[in-house]
Amino acid sequence: MASKALISFSSLLLIHSCYSAHEHSLLMPTTTSLPLDVAIETIVSVVLLCFGIVLGNREELKPISWSVWSGLLEREKGCGQFGYLEERVGFLDIRAKRAEFAKWIKGAEVGSSSQRT
Amino acid sequence: MAILKLLLSYLSIHPSPLRNPSTSLHLSQQAPAFLSSSESTKDTQETWLIYEQLLLSCLRTGDDNSARLCLQRLSDRFGVDSARVKALTGLYDEATSNSPGELESVLQRYQDILKEDPTNMPIEKRRISLLLSLGRTEDAIKALTSLLSHSPNDPESWAHLSSLYFTQGLYQQSVFCLEEVLLILPNAYNIFARIGEVTYISASAGVGSANQTEAFEEAIKYFARSVELSEWYLRGWYGLKLVTGKLIQAKPSDGKLGKTESLNQMATEKLLQIVNKFRRNEKGWTGFDEAEVLAAKDLIDRDEQKFSR
Repeated sequence: MASKALISFSSLLLIHSCYSAHEHSLLMPTTTSLPLDVAIETIVSVVLLCFGIVLGNREELKPISWSVWSGLLEREKGCGQFGYLEERVGFLDIRAKRAEFAKWIKGAEVGSSSQRT
Repeated sequence: MAILKLLLSYLSIHPSPLRNPSTSLHLSQQAPAFLSSSESTKDTQETWLIYEQLLLSCLRTGDDNSARLCLQRLSDRFGVDSARVKALTGLYDEATSNSPGELESVLQRYQDILKEDPTNMPIEKRRISLLLSLGRTEDAIKALTSLLSHSPNDPESWAHLSSLYFTQGLYQQSVFCLEEVLLILPNAYNIFARIGEVTYISASAGVGSANQTEAFEEAIKYFARSVELSEWYLRGWYGLKLVTGKLIQAKPSDGKLGKTESLNQMATEKLLQIVNKFRRNEKGWTGFDEAEVLAAKDLIDRDEQKFSR
């Protein structure tokens, strides 16, 4: 909510500063520099817009450090970025997997073994 | 709420559902509901990803009807000639064949496809795994090396070849293949730990105590690198503790031991943290494999007994 308000407010500011710059160039075609207030308004609006976009990010941010990130994946999901090198779906031996599953489900039915899902 | 979203979030929590039987079971139980829902007709990348995962899980759990439907829709969308669909079809045929004769005919079909298109990687991989499943390991290794000679930048194939060599007791070749993986993916911490494991195992199996100490030190380097790249990699810490423990045991008094001991202590601390937090079911610490945590606990206990004696 706050981010949306910030984004719309800063966008308005940005549009306003663009319009002011345009008008200024029409009114005084000889000058090459913008008035200070227009410049400040532009910079402030862009900074606010950046903040608004960052605040509005819904996804969880990933850790910057590689080791922290992969450690996080390991302890939360048990499978890091390179888990596929151990699983190797391309070489999946489906018959063995089926046999393993059949055995597992039998064991689970006999004694209600600890199921972690 | 949408079953599509439900499945997607489940897959994001369990990125490799084929590892545990229970996750496969959960996925395949959702399959009929997904296949009959209106969302299954959406043509987005995510839907097709889910189709593929459901197909694999259903095949594993023996729900062949749902698997057939998934495969049907995938081939309707991408065409029967797409390499990936061909491989999935082969997988389905493998899973549902009942006799060795049927498997042989699947193998023959793979060979026919490869005659027409020798660079069809998914089919080549299927052929190799079927050879393995039929117990023809030597043929599989030969086929895998020829695959790697025409496409040497596939880390999955290198990792698989390494595990095949390992099962044959060819540890040096196995380590070589893992090093090839590292050339492609220098951050693959699990491969670092795997090299450490293979080095350790081959040194324990071999003879010559001078060489053994050296090999152990080499293994420690690999384990240390793996935990440097991933701070909570259980297998890395486990290996580090195990091998440093052996080194300390082997030569009780030496100038270099200070470093080994501190590494050992650090690994013990990390493992203890993992074990305790996993046991208390703390949020964010539940991803570990239960058997691996138990093994770590066992290792710590054994070590403590040794010191107290």
